[in-house]
Amino acid sequence: MYLVADIDVDICAATSCKLCTQYCPEANTINYDDNAGKDKGHKYGSAYVAVDRCKGCAQCVWVCDNMAKHHAIKMTMIDQLPKAAITDRITYLDKGTKAIAAPVEVA
Amino acid sequence: MSLDYVKFSPGFDKFMPKEYRDMVEHGPFGKKTTVSQMGSFKEILEEHPMCAGCAMTLFIRLAMISFPNPEDTITVGTAGCGRLAISQAAVPFVYGNYGDQNAVASGLSRGLKLRFGDKPKDVVVMAGDGGMADIGFSMTLHSWFRKERFTTIMLDNEVYGNTGGQESGMTNKGQVLKMAPLGKKFEKMDMIGMAKLAGCAYVATVVPNNPRRVESVIKKAVLIAREIGPTYIQAYTSCNIEYSIPTDKVMEDAKSVETDRYAFSEHITDEAKEYLATRYGFKEYLPKPATAAALPKA
Ligand SMILES: Cc1ncc(C[n+]2csc(CCOP(=O)(O)OP(=O)(O)O)c2C)c(N)n1
Ligand code: SF4
Ligand code: SF4
Ligand code: SF4
Repeated sequence: MYLVADIDVDICAATSCKLCTQYCPEANTINYDDNAGKDKGHKYGSAYVAVDRCKGCAQCVWVCDNMAKHHAIKMTMIDQLPKAAITDRITYLDKGTKAIAAPVEVA
Repeated sequence: MSLDYVKFSPGFDKFMPKEYRDMVEHGPFGKKTTVSQMGSFKEILEEHPMCAGCAMTLFIRLAMISFPNPEDTITVGTAGCGRLAISQAAVPFVYGNYGDQNAVASGLSRGLKLRFGDKPKDVVVMAGDGGMADIGFSMTLHSWFRKERFTTIMLDNEVYGNTGGQESGMTNKGQVLKMAPLGKKFEKMDMIGMAKLAGCAYVATVVPNNPRRVESVIKKAVLIAREIGPTYIQAYTSCNIEYSIPTDKVMEDAKSVETDRYAFSEHITDEAKEYLATRYGFKEYLPKPATAAALPKA
């Protein structure tokens, strides 16, 4: 098993500072869903991680903790995530993306 | 080379991978994308085998987002870690022999000017410090002295990362590395000074812990190289493997190195300033309105 980044929607959608993706070394790994969290009454959308692309470096954790000071990202064992986004289930929209989080199968 | 080269031949789209379709439909081609929109559009850089948490990877990702016209850009690289990612992007990539990159780029940019005339086609070299300051040193310097119009970017991790930790001309004096066990005996080479001496129209040092600044220097360098002259960016892109930096501390390291010895610097000729202001509307280079004190007294 291995670690991937996991973003707490409730914390992220309260501000949605969009800082972490600017520091993730991997392309299109932390994306934004402008509607995530709206169903829970949050004002903004949320960042999410396409776990199939995450290399587990935890740079985003450092950025969210120390630069954004929001503490929304935790490294989590991939088989402990009830649901996650993966590249195949991301739809790009004219502005932003939409992700379908579903259980991930780990071989 | 044009916007059309990425599009599918009729009938083939359903056979293309999702990432490719996303890139054609929601990528940056023909649009202006910025660092602040990251995470909301499909990038031209794909998955690649560079190490987890590598600052060089982050820099390459930011650079590719910052290309002013990705659909009219060709990258040139060489042996070293960076090419592992640069080659996995939806812009044509030319792989020079180790050290040849600025010679290859010279021929390429001249050829593109002959073929396409004034229509801008941007050539961007990205190579490691070993490839550029050691093995390719003469070709790098000669391309600058010849005033070849393309952008040279050094991915300066201060070591030969790809081959396991030999010192390069850009390693700091005294630095101990796996294959430099007694520590380096000479000073870090002053490539910034040499770029200025050789007549580069724009020279900058940058660290990727400031994404918007990376965006700004890449845009300026690529635009200036279209018409004014050679441009050079030297980016500190740490190797977390050879320098044993924990991956979650890579940005902390970048910040402290920037403060200690890799401060942001920018050198731009007056001709380049005027060109950016008049041609591309860069406000910072528009002539300042005369201040009251400077006005002649009535
Ligand atoms: C002519 C030639 N000599 C040696 C090599 C072996 N080689 C491959 S990568 C590399 C070092 C790369 O170091 P650098 O240019 O600093 O890039 P980095 O990997 O650190 O990004 C060497 C020596 C080669 N490919 N070709
Ligand atoms: S840095 Fe933290 S709060 Fe900001 S967008 Fe990323 S996860 Fe959300
Ligand atoms: S752990 Fe690293 S690769 Fe994964 S999302 Fe965070 S910064 Fe990106
Ligand atoms: S060896 Fe160093 S420079 Fe090369 S990919 Fe790994 S961390 Fe980056």
